[in-house]
Amino acid sequence: MYDYFAAIASWPVSRAINESSWIFALIQALHLVALAFLAGALLVVDLRLLGKGFSQQPLARVARDARPWLVASIIGMILTGVPQFISLATKEFESPYFWNKMYFLVAALLFTFTIRQRVTFAPEGKFGPGIAKAVALISIALWTGVAIEGRLIGFFS
Amino acid sequence: MSELVAALRSLFETVNEFESSIALRESAYVFPWVVVAHVVSMCLFAGTILMMDLRLLGVGYIQTPMSQVQRRLFPWQIAGMTLATITGLTLVYGNPMNYFANIIFWTKMLSMGIAGLNALAFHFITEYTLVQWDTSPTPPFGAKLAGGLSIALWANVILAGRLIPYNWFQN
Repeated sequence: MYDYFAAIASWPVSRAINESSWIFALIQALHLVALAFLAGALLVVDLRLLGKGFSQQPLARVARDARPWLVASIIGMILTGVPQFISLATKEFESPYFWNKMYFLVAALLFTFTIRQRVTFAPEGKFGPGIAKAVALISIALWTGVAIEGRLIGFFS
Repeated sequence: MSELVAALRSLFETVNEFESSIALRESAYVFPWVVVAHVVSMCLFAGTILMMDLRLLGVGYIQTPMSQVQRRLFPWQIAGMTLATITGLTLVYGNPMNYFANIIFWTKMLSMGIAGLNALAFHFITEYTLVQWDTSPTPPFGAKLAGGLSIALWANVILAGRLIPYNWFQN
């Protein structure tokens, strides 16, 4: 497994990012801007599920309006996340925070595009407020986990 | 101007000598965890600001009246701003001289100031016409300008914030 990571880190593009004094830093900073959009697109729907935020609007409408921004910011996260990963692949392999982030990320993505999507796009009244609140809290917890573990990679690796 | 710089320098130098400030920067865990808390607070603040900006631009949540977007997100924006301010001040308090000599830090502060002025300008000028376009999917130019500027300025705050530790352009 480690050999694959070492191979990725030795790609010319990985080394170019790693050796530049500013490319990595700029990508890292753009990753945070994408994170802010992602957080917004998630939060408007999670707040609505909690009966806060746009509570005067139908849930499915809020979810539909947020969706293009959710998808766009996830694409932005991947476009700015993958270059960071390939340039530091061997360090990431050894960082427990990187793996924790990946577990949270897989769980968050699966949850968002299966259960959460099902509940937010369901016909009005199909799921009770208890389920809606649970979905919102799980969504917030999983994505906060992704953000926290992600930020810790840079400190303790 | 030079008097302002001198006053700021002496303020930062004074805080730098406080025992609590020294204790913060000597702890190996305080800084990373306060940074983590700052990032999570930023998500709440910037996330709810940016979604409102998308509505101002007419590219998001267009079926929701602008007044509703504004009113319903406001408490979350304030909560996020409060948390980001507390964690941010803690970071500066713990190592003031690291920030004082850092042009990227001051770029962030300046961008925040302009973003604040932009929000005030919208509140005191464009918002007066809100009743005319509250439910319209395409807000007027002034609203789009406020939304676009807000996105650009807050993105700049986030970019500069993340770049502070690189401290380029140091003399």
